[in-house]
Amino acid sequence: MSMTDAQILERYAREPAPLLPVLHAFHDRDGYLSEEALRVVADGLRIPIADLFGTVTFYHHFSRKPGGLHGKRVCTGPVCCRKGARELARSLGAETMPCSGRCDDPIPVLEGHTTLIGNTVSDLVHKPSPLPAPNPGGYQECVFAGIREEGRAGLAGYRKGGGYRALEKALAENDPEGLIRTVTESKLAGRGGAGFPTGRKWQAVRDAPGEPKTIICNADEGEPGCFKDRAIMDYDPHALIEGMALAAFATGATRGFIYLRYEYPETNDILAAAIGEAEAAGYLGDHFKLYLRRGAGAYICGEEGSLINSLEGKHPFPRNRPPFPVTHGFEDKPTVVNNVETLVSVPPILRHGAAWYRDLGLGEHAGTKIISLSGDVARPGNYEAPFGLPLHTLLHDWAGGPAVEGGTIQAVTMAGLSGGFLAGDDLNVTLDEPCIRARGSFLGAGGIMVFDSSRDMMAIAAEAMHFFAEESCGKCFPCRIGTQRLTERLTGAAGPRDKTAWLDEVADLGSTMKAVSACGLGIAAPLITESLVRYFPERIEQHCAS
Amino acid sequence: MTKNPTEFSLTLDGKTVNFTPGETLYEVAQRHQKDIPTLCYDPRLESFGGCRLCVVRLEGAKNPVASCTTRAEAGMVVHTSTPDIETHRKTLLEMVLSENRELEVSPLRGYASQELTELSERYQARTGRFEGKQSGESRIDDTNPFILRDYDLCISCYRCVRVCAEEEGDYAISVMNRGFETQITTEFGGLLKDSDCTFCGQCVQTCPTGALADKKAMRYSETPGEIIKTRSICTYCGVGCSVDIMTKGEQIVGLQPAMDGPANEGALCIKGQFAYDFVQHEDRLTTPLVRGDDGELHEATWEEALDKAADGFKRVMRIHGRHAVYGVASGRTPIEGDYMMQRFIRAGFGTNYIDNCSRA
Ligand SMILES: Cc1cc2nc3c(=O)[nH]c(=O)nc-3n(C[C@H](O)[C@H](O)[C@H](O)COP(=O)(O)O)c2cc1C
Ligand code: SF4
Ligand code: SF4
Ligand code: SF4
Ligand code: FES
Repeated sequence: MSMTDAQILERYAREPAPLLPVLHAFHDRDGYLSEEALRVVADGLRIPIADLFGTVTFYHHFSRKPGGLHGKRVCTGPVCCRKGARELARSLGAETMPCSGRCDDPIPVLEGHTTLIGNTVSDLVHKPSPLPAPNPGGYQECVFAGIREEGRAGLAGYRKGGGYRALEKALAENDPEGLIRTVTESKLAGRGGAGFPTGRKWQAVRDAPGEPKTIICNADEGEPGCFKDRAIMDYDPHALIEGMALAAFATGATRGFIYLRYEYPETNDILAAAIGEAEAAGYLGDHFKLYLRRGAGAYICGEEGSLINSLEGKHPFPRNRPPFPVTHGFEDKPTVVNNVETLVSVPPILRHGAAWYRDLGLGEHAGTKIISLSGDVARPGNYEAPFGLPLHTLLHDWAGGPAVEGGTIQAVTMAGLSGGFLAGDDLNVTLDEPCIRARGSFLGAGGIMVFDSSRDMMAIAAEAMHFFAEESCGKCFPCRIGTQRLTERLTGAAGPRDKTAWLDEVADLGSTMKAVSACGLGIAAPLITESLVRYFPERIEQHCAS
Repeated sequence: MTKNPTEFSLTLDGKTVNFTPGETLYEVAQRHQKDIPTLCYDPRLESFGGCRLCVVRLEGAKNPVASCTTRAEAGMVVHTSTPDIETHRKTLLEMVLSENRELEVSPLRGYASQELTELSERYQARTGRFEGKQSGESRIDDTNPFILRDYDLCISCYRCVRVCAEEEGDYAISVMNRGFETQITTEFGGLLKDSDCTFCGQCVQTCPTGALADKKAMRYSETPGEIIKTRSICTYCGVGCSVDIMTKGEQIVGLQPAMDGPANEGALCIKGQFAYDFVQHEDRLTTPLVRGDDGELHEATWEEALDKAADGFKRVMRIHGRHAVYGVASGRTPIEGDYMMQRFIRAGFGTNYIDNCSRA
């Protein structure tokens, strides 16, 4: 039987961060968010109705039309578009959505809380997400070491492979400072994009005054071409819970959230089941209460300040920094925000030691990075690569080279879309930040999309900028206006026809966006145009001439 | 306890200056007469950090920082106007102009309505650059008599939304959608009169483009003559809000809150903001009227009128006693008038039955 309004409010109102689950409960029950429902929520949670209305319109997936929840949404990310996603959406009469994190499969279609996969209307099926293939380079892994074990997603299976041993040991030794020292010595750094040293973040939260402290797992994974966190959570959810419990123990946090992107409904169920098991087994409980929260379709909610605002039920604009979440995070209390991959790396590091982890990297680089590889390669998928691995090795030896016999790889993206393109000689990079940053890009969260020479890079750049324009939160002028103007110049919808004037406007927009935007979205977006201009000048010439 | 001054000093454009902990770089710079441009800033509101015009170069930081949201710290080395920074400011203004449909707007629209115009002149920002789709959609359907919602001119600084929440506490308006599709809205996109709006006009007066405008004042846009502002006090209630009365010749054309008014700091309510028509209303009495034996009102001299009133009061007192008189002073009387009124009732009639219509 479906819940009444009062029951929904009663169920969540006393939990922290109630707005998203309450809205989802109404959305799921009614199939959309009606005006009456929003008025009930505003009353129940004491949110001004105009604010609540405005905030609901911010999220892509909250439908305000009856039945909207159940409508089909087709992924039109850069990789899916090359597979015919727009045509599929048209034949289905479906809405489109930005990259939904399944680029290693045919086109994903979201229907209610089910992910269907297929290339055409007739072959859409529901199936689990792909399991990462065994490491093709034979390198020792950290994050994926146990992920292929049978039954790993269940508590028993996880424990069989040594799961929760690190947590038990940490609790027995009761040396949180020592634990943080090990994490610091391992040189583990954030895998969500910014690469902040994890040990230092944890120490800062441990040292910061104010309680309760909070651990937030950033599972929003909205970056196009990134689907590594999904694989980890689908096949190794307890590893994430153990990583979060360790973070809580180390910092003194007593509550935690997993902020999961809307487009992973199956993952939501898997995590909910794992949390239930971990609670029953006593790994979670009053000492560390873990809450699962679903986003509602907004890339910017992966930015940590925006994520925290979203949890708090506020309009999800990024926050001004400083202060940082380590001192003023969730409800203005000290908060760790870590990516899924970062957290999952911690239990093996504690089991095998800091030196073990550091040595997984090649040369002077420490540790590993999951790369989500997709597009025109023979074997797309998630690969755990040692830092310092040549991109060429990944593309050709591990992933089998171009998807089409005799094809050539024209360009790749870095950091999903946020790092722009690499092409030409710059495809000789090694997979580590110093090398890639020296080329004006960055590795970030490790999404790499591959485009062979049959692809029109101008069209891909236009799609990429359109993504940033649609996902710009609208808080700051350079990004709100700049992403729109760059999109128009890339599609040809507006802007100068004269090449010199075109380049001049694009460069000026980009340089101001990069320098003064309020968050990483607006700072990163111009890397698309910058790299397009750098690698494909003749394509721009053509574009202006046409 | 005196602190070592170097503990709270930083370098601002080459000069060592002191600051109070908690001050933002913008505030410190303001105190030193640095004219940093802003569009999303209103000193009464929490710093938002949206327009990015206030960015300054902070040595050691990779990118320029927004001075309005960055707190001063000891030892900072800050440059408020480098060639780089000035270029970004100009580009930002040209971006804003590309979404804004009109640059010349009547100053009658609102207190801050000239901010964008003035900045684009100062930076000689070119219109026509970065042309493309326009943002914001005006709500011509909102026919309320006070506030024009001309969002074609809106630049999404959210000062209106923030002033309504932070200063007025009404939360009547909010931000809908995101990115370039952002739109200022009320609950469910309705009309102001159906929202929690109290028509205080705060949003109008903080809007830096005139997108929100004072409809009543705009009636006089075409009236010839220069706008003269005269500082006064609102005549309605006991708060005593400072106002600037705007006139063209003999005509009152509008009223703006005084941002430096000690009692209101720029705030007003609907009455103070919009209800001034009575002053020059054609129905307003200009001579005393006395009811004649025919039952009609006739123009009279003050002598005649006062005699008539005094006779009436005396008759009532004689028949019903002194407590049959009850004095209610008008909310619009000045404090001196109120004093006279209560003396008149207390000493004159010998009763304490005296009140005022606005006891706020
Ligand atoms: C526009 C934008 C989107 C982001 N999206 C994500 C995301 O989906 N997942 C994530 O872990 N980090 C994301 N980040 C980075 C987070 O702000 C934050 O740095 C990260 O979650 C910290 O965790 P880490 O130190 O473990 O990487 C994003 C940042 C920006 C600017
Ligand atoms: S850079 Fe873009 S996404 Fe980030 S705060 Fe500014 S408008 Fe929002
Ligand atoms: S007039 Fe006053 S109450 Fe109405 S929207 Fe503007 S600030 Fe808010
Ligand atoms: S209406 Fe005016 S104050 Fe409100 S966001 Fe637009 S420009 Fe800013
Ligand atoms: S005044 Fe600082 S960003 Fe607008």
